[in-house]
Amino acid sequence: MEDNKETQQNTVSVEDYTSDSIKMLKGLEPVRVRPAMYIGNTSIEGLHHLVYELVDNSVDEALNKCCTQILITIHIDGSCTVSDDGRGIPTEVHPDDKEGRSTVEVVLTELHAGGKFHNQAYKVSGGLHGVGLSVVNALSEWLEIEVRRDGKVYQQRYERGQPVTPLTVVGKTKKTGTSVRFKPDSEIFVETTDFHFDTLASRIRELAYLNKGLKLSIIDEKTNKKQEFVYDGGIVSLVEHKNANKNLIHKDPIYFYTKKSVPILKADNSASEEYDEVELEIALQYYDGYDEKIYTFANNINTREGGMHLSGFKSALTRAVKNYITQMMKKDSKKDTEDIQGEDTREGLTAVISVNLQKPQFEGQTKMKLGNSYVEGFVSSEVYSFLSNYFQENPSVAKAICSKIMNAAKAREAAKKARELTRRKGEIDVSGLPGKLADCSEKDPAKSELFIVEGDSAGGSAKQGRDRKTQAILPLRGKVLNVERTAFDKLLKSNEITTMISALGTGIVEKKFDTSKIRYHKIIIMTDADVDGAHIRTLLLTFFFRQMPEIIEKGYLYIAQPPLFRVKKGKTDTYLKNEAELTKMLIKMSVEDVVLHKQTEEIKGDRLLSCLKKITEYEKLISALDRKGLSRGLIEKMIEKSFKLDIFKDKDNLQKVLQLIEEEIPGIVVGEMTFDEEHESYGVRISRDNLDIDLSYRFLASLNYEEIYKLNREIEALIGKPPYKVTIKSDTKEVSCSSELLTVITEASKKGLTIQRYKGLGEMNPEQLWETTMDPEKRTLLQVKIEDYMTTEETFRILMSKETDKRKDFIIKHCLEAKNIDV
Amino acid sequence: MMIRCPICGALTTWQENENRPFCSQRCKLIDLGKWVSEEYKVVEPLDEKDKSTYDICHLDEENKQ
Repeated sequence: MEDNKETQQNTVSVEDYTSDSIKMLKGLEPVRVRPAMYIGNTSIEGLHHLVYELVDNSVDEALNKCCTQILITIHIDGSCTVSDDGRGIPTEVHPDDKEGRSTVEVVLTELHAGGKFHNQAYKVSGGLHGVGLSVVNALSEWLEIEVRRDGKVYQQRYERGQPVTPLTVVGKTKKTGTSVRFKPDSEIFVETTDFHFDTLASRIRELAYLNKGLKLSIIDEKTNKKQEFVYDGGIVSLVEHKNANKNLIHKDPIYFYTKKSVPILKADNSASEEYDEVELEIALQYYDGYDEKIYTFANNINTREGGMHLSGFKSALTRAVKNYITQMMKKDSKKDTEDIQGEDTREGLTAVISVNLQKPQFEGQTKMKLGNSYVEGFVSSEVYSFLSNYFQENPSVAKAICSKIMNAAKAREAAKKARELTRRKGEIDVSGLPGKLADCSEKDPAKSELFIVEGDSAGGSAKQGRDRKTQAILPLRGKVLNVERTAFDKLLKSNEITTMISALGTGIVEKKFDTSKIRYHKIIIMTDADVDGAHIRTLLLTFFFRQMPEIIEKGYLYIAQPPLFRVKKGKTDTYLKNEAELTKMLIKMSVEDVVLHKQTEEIKGDRLLSCLKKITEYEKLISALDRKGLSRGLIEKMIEKSFKLDIFKDKDNLQKVLQLIEEEIPGIVVGEMTFDEEHESYGVRISRDNLDIDLSYRFLASLNYEEIYKLNREIEALIGKPPYKVTIKSDTKEVSCSSELLTVITEASKKGLTIQRYKGLGEMNPEQLWETTMDPEKRTLLQVKIEDYMTTEETFRILMSKETDKRKDFIIKHCLEAKNIDV
Repeated sequence: MMIRCPICGALTTWQENENRPFCSQRCKLIDLGKWVSEEYKVVEPLDEKDKSTYDICHLDEENKQ
């Protein structure tokens, strides 16, 4: 039989072919008339499509496990060969062909001939794809096919779609396969007929990923460029390739494969008798970024528009994740999972979904969307059950993924709120500015100032006291009672943030910050000189540093320095910023009237002044220690016993000194000594009146003990040991310690003075506020600099921390005493 | 200046960083979201005395709002 057919084919005469060819040309005529309908276009994409067409045919062989390698060669003459080691196109007479032509010829000359001979073992592609060899043939100047099959090598040549030679046996072989060499017709491809190596290579790489183990090579004979693609990991390798150099949430991609008979749905979505054999392969991996990268394929075709396989995957992933979070993480299920949306589960996800089915339907504008409805349910249920199992079996991976997803949900919510609120402009009056803002009349930003004032009453004073021409006032209410009425919340209210943003005139959020639109070149934060004020100031500074750093970089942000004290002497008022300044002033005022007696020596004037400065510093440090529970008595006793920091390294000496201290101070109990290996020093617990202190190197060093020690010795050298004899004006008295000395001196100078301590800006009348804080001629402003960023963040972090004790210490240490940009 | 993103903790720089001090536009947005949803606050528990003083001072204002 076989031989007969062959003989038949071999004996077909040239004339017969001519008559046939007219008809054949008619068969392929539509392709030549409207090539774009078959290959998309006749420019570079369409040209390359011819190669893909042939490669896809070979890959179909590979899908049937009949082909292991495909070679693409770009020849010097502009032609291209695609060859595979598949079964080879059947060469016998096609059973349905009335004219008795070979299958090869039918495939090459009949449009959509594929379906006629592609039986169950073959797959069909749709859309632009799988239009088959005939289209390539029709659009080629010439095409030569070589088939290795049944031990023989067959050849046939075609020109513009018509056979010019019969299918001829040219030799013997042990191999099988099909090789097609064609030269694109320059009458059709007017733009170009040059194949691009890189374009072909990228599609071929994709195919290599999708077909695990299949070797695809490409050679360009013009340049001798050669590349070979073979991925034993298949789509897992593709995911790894896409996630290269990224921080991964879990080490290995999650991989899943299944193949099942799936009932094809009828139009009304009920299952029909027909089944489709569907293969599903998925690989996925999360990384710590935010992009969603899902690559979907159907029968090796990149379905860029997604389709049923993608929607099935998405719904399964969302369900599996929500279910896992509810069940396994034992979270408040309702709240946590309600917040999670599909998009959250795909943040930072790189995935490849590949399906192979027998009757794919491609939809969409570019025919790149899979339309088979039964695929959705199949993919969804398979992926759901696989992922659910996977999560159960790999709890650490599941946990990592789910916590990333929960964070994504939180982030999305937060960002949404931010957008909504900043879009809403807040309470805005006719001028387009917030109603709470008392604007200035000056329009030149360089001459305009904005005071952001904490507290309504202070805002009122500032509005009255300001220079209306250049100074604008925006009052904020930083401290509010919380809803439960159990605590004060210090915060920037969201409507106040909105107000602030619109008052400044600059954009924020997605719009790039626009400094040219800023309405003031001095933005001055004015808060009370108390703890609340320090908190609000930190919040404001942090907000500006984080959300409007440009303002700080430009040097537009300042902190006002309102006074803490007003000292009235006769008719003159002096305003002082802090306690230290007050003490300094009081000492200065009285030093002329004071004489300190050191035995027979009299200390006065400048010498006394410098001595009193040291005492002031000493007292400041001592009181900080006192707050930590180390009393003045104990410290001074330690200093008296020459207790220096290095004593902690000397166990015996430490023991000896502590013993003396225990004996000399009533009520002190010295505990067991402990050894701190890390610092190679000893420590000891000291108790007094139920107060325990862990005395150690680190503890004392952190409290400036050495400085205290030094100052104590210096003071002793200057004025001797207490008690001290002091004469103020003509009144001589004895004081027991340096603290008392300072007190009597400052108290003495307070006579005749009225000292007012401001608890808040609101206590100042408008004139005072103007004079002390707002008047550009007299005020001092602190400019906020980028260098202050770290300190601000640190303070902010501590303020936000839940440990109230730590916060209190910090506030006492830094907020109230710091001389400069405190917080 | 090397800094840590206040939201995710990733190392980033102040210079040549459009989203400084954040690592990304997204983290900046999350932060802004926290500001406007009033998540950044210092809570100071108060005793009865504070409360009554506050009530006297501010109740009217709050009612007005």
